[in-house]
Amino acid sequence: MLLIECPWCGPHAETEFSYGGEAGIVRPANPDALSDAEWADYLFYRSNPRGAHRELWNHARGCRRWFVVERDTVTNRIAGSFRLDAAGSGPDAVAGKQAGQDD
Amino acid sequence: MSDRIARSHGLEAFFGAAESVSGAGVEIALPKNRGFLNLRLDPRRERAVRAADEVLGQGLPLAANSFTGGERRVYWLSPDEWLVETRAEEAGALCGELEAALAGYHAAINDISGGQVALRLTGPEARTILSKGCTLDPHPREFAPGQCARAGFARATVLLACIDETPTYAVVVGRSFADYLCHWLANAAGL
Repeated sequence: MLLIECPWCGPHAETEFSYGGEAGIVRPANPDALSDAEWADYLFYRSNPRGAHRELWNHARGCRRWFVVERDTVTNRIAGSFRLDAAGSGPDAVAGKQAGQDD
Repeated sequence: MSDRIARSHGLEAFFGAAESVSGAGVEIALPKNRGFLNLRLDPRRERAVRAADEVLGQGLPLAANSFTGGERRVYWLSPDEWLVETRAEEAGALCGELEAALAGYHAAINDISGGQVALRLTGPEARTILSKGCTLDPHPREFAPGQCARAGFARATVLLACIDETPTYAVVVGRSFADYLCHWLANAAGL
């Protein structure tokens, strides 16, 4: 069993999490402009690397947050977990609202 | 005319007239008349957090997996979600007060009393029973008084909170899982 570190709750057993596939898959801005091959590539094709893999996990039986885990697919060693929001430190973090806007 | 429906926790068959069942070193109790509110709020909205704190009479726990309070407890569920446990008879009024205090903020308050059951697991063997079916490490080094966490417990998902060093745990579970969980606990306790 993997011991996965939730960026909010800390390390928890794998059975508390659900897997969300490869991280960083961005929906094309204008799907109508894509060829069938490009659309199929977005929908179905994943990098499936041997080694370091950035993947989405959800702490389903905990805080129910999505985050990114960097896991080695050969050794299962987990290099780190990253939040997806603005406070996240990983390259997948998206710019969001900054703290304390209403004060 | 519609009939008034009495609120039921669904555990009448398990507990009967008793408030608790006891085994060797552990007691499974059903605290009476607990009400629950679910509160969602962005903790970065400091004014809204202060407004909620004032109505609740205690601070929202902002640290992950912690809870505050005694008779009325506020559990951290996720970075923008809390569970308020209070007396059932004041849950409705508290819900209204929170709604009024947080009007204008991006917040949600729901009375979910009917969907939750709070059990209390206490006694020197309570930790042994937790470790038998729980995805958490219940060792006090990892799960000390003041901490709470949603976790898998047997085949259910529950909110666990460590109340004191006896140890005493609060187990908040969906109403439809409560009967199953009580039977699982009784079996684990050798009852």
